[in-house]
Amino acid sequence: MRNFLAFIRRFQVLLIFALMQGVALALYFTFVHFPRSQYLTTASEISGSILEIRNDITKHFDLSKNNTNLQEENIRLMEQANAMSFISMDNGLFEINDTVHKQQYTYMPASIINSTHDKRNNYFTLNIGSAQGVKRGMGVFSGKGVVGVIHNTSKHYSVVKSCLTETINIDIMIENSGQFGLLKWNGKDARRGTMWGVSNDLEVKKWSKVTTRGGGGIFPRGITVGKVERADVVEGKPLWDITILFSEDYRSLQRVYVVKNLLLEEQKELESQTPNNPLQ
Amino acid sequence: MNIVVKIGLRFLFILILQVLILNQIEIGFGIQLFVYPLFILLLPVEMSVVILMVFAFALGILIDAMSNTYGLHASSLLVVAYLRPMVFKLFAPRDGYDPLLETNIFSMGNTWFLKVFGLLIIIHHFWFFMLEMFKLNELAFVLQKTAFSAPLSFLICILLQYLFIRNRVEK
Repeated sequence: MRNFLAFIRRFQVLLIFALMQGVALALYFTFVHFPRSQYLTTASEISGSILEIRNDITKHFDLSKNNTNLQEENIRLMEQANAMSFISMDNGLFEINDTVHKQQYTYMPASIINSTHDKRNNYFTLNIGSAQGVKRGMGVFSGKGVVGVIHNTSKHYSVVKSCLTETINIDIMIENSGQFGLLKWNGKDARRGTMWGVSNDLEVKKWSKVTTRGGGGIFPRGITVGKVERADVVEGKPLWDITILFSEDYRSLQRVYVVKNLLLEEQKELESQTPNNPLQ
Repeated sequence: MNIVVKIGLRFLFILILQVLILNQIEIGFGIQLFVYPLFILLLPVEMSVVILMVFAFALGILIDAMSNTYGLHASSLLVVAYLRPMVFKLFAPRDGYDPLLETNIFSMGNTWFLKVFGLLIIIHHFWFFMLEMFKLNELAFVLQKTAFSAPLSFLICILLQYLFIRNRVEK
């Protein structure tokens, strides 16, 4: 016992150091994989409100670019609406495609009040939270492409795990050929991601469009991710290492939409009835 | 100025500078600027390691709270605080440290500052990027990030001292 006390006294500083280091590292590694609380993140009320004040000043810097993006998106939607909802069948006879009746997704507008793009894992902070109905696991996208998944929420703020994180793992596919895989990011270039899981006996066309697959029920099918820039061979594995050029520039992104899937519970319940389901 | 007020103000200033300004500057090549190790360096010489580590943990975790790293900054600043007495002993002047002087670039001289703070900041950056990556096969990228970021952070720390430290004691 006396030896033990002497040991503690001798290595007092080292032990305190190890203890504090242990706390810090435990916090870090649990946050990366599963956030337990919103305290000590940018979703907390105090840091969220400070960042919102800063954003009130800096948000005007990219205003004209954001307006142009919004206009482009409006034009695309107008063209789509004209083409889809009014289908003429015969002279004097037409069908109205009622989109409200089969609505599966609802969208909430939000602004990004804090973001980084240069770290290994980049998180964005949004100005809406659980009071507006945001929940962990919802998808986030912008007018040009997919942005990320909600990681953590507080009452008025939420943190998005963006496409610029290592384990983002969004279910994506190459639009024309239908080959699907997971989205990853290697931490180097904010304009490029990688697609993992496409078998290399399939042919991958350069510059073909990559979109979300909608498999996990997080995103609707067909939200743009980017374009295939290059397909390299992975040594020792029968897979392509596909480099994707993101369609969205995350470095100047401000306005996003949060997607809520109204039929998610139904899908989860159905999938859970299948024995040995790999999706569980 | 009272030493407690001085340390408190410096704590707040470095926190705000790091979180609201330097965290947003993203130059590319994986460069990230960290000036908060300077706070630990400028604490009084006779302060015990345990109190240093408490300060380090508090400052680190507050920076973490504002940049979604949740313990990463705290961990790397703790290393700096833990190693500070050893590095100080390693590069001690011949007649020891004057407990009344603050250990900044003016009171201790350029060579001392380059050796001590340079070593501490390289250790800090290396620890930070290593934990952030957490993969040994990306060691080259970690070293590249450290090699680019540490000199820039070091320069900013020198600039900060020239801007904000009054009553300079030239050696």
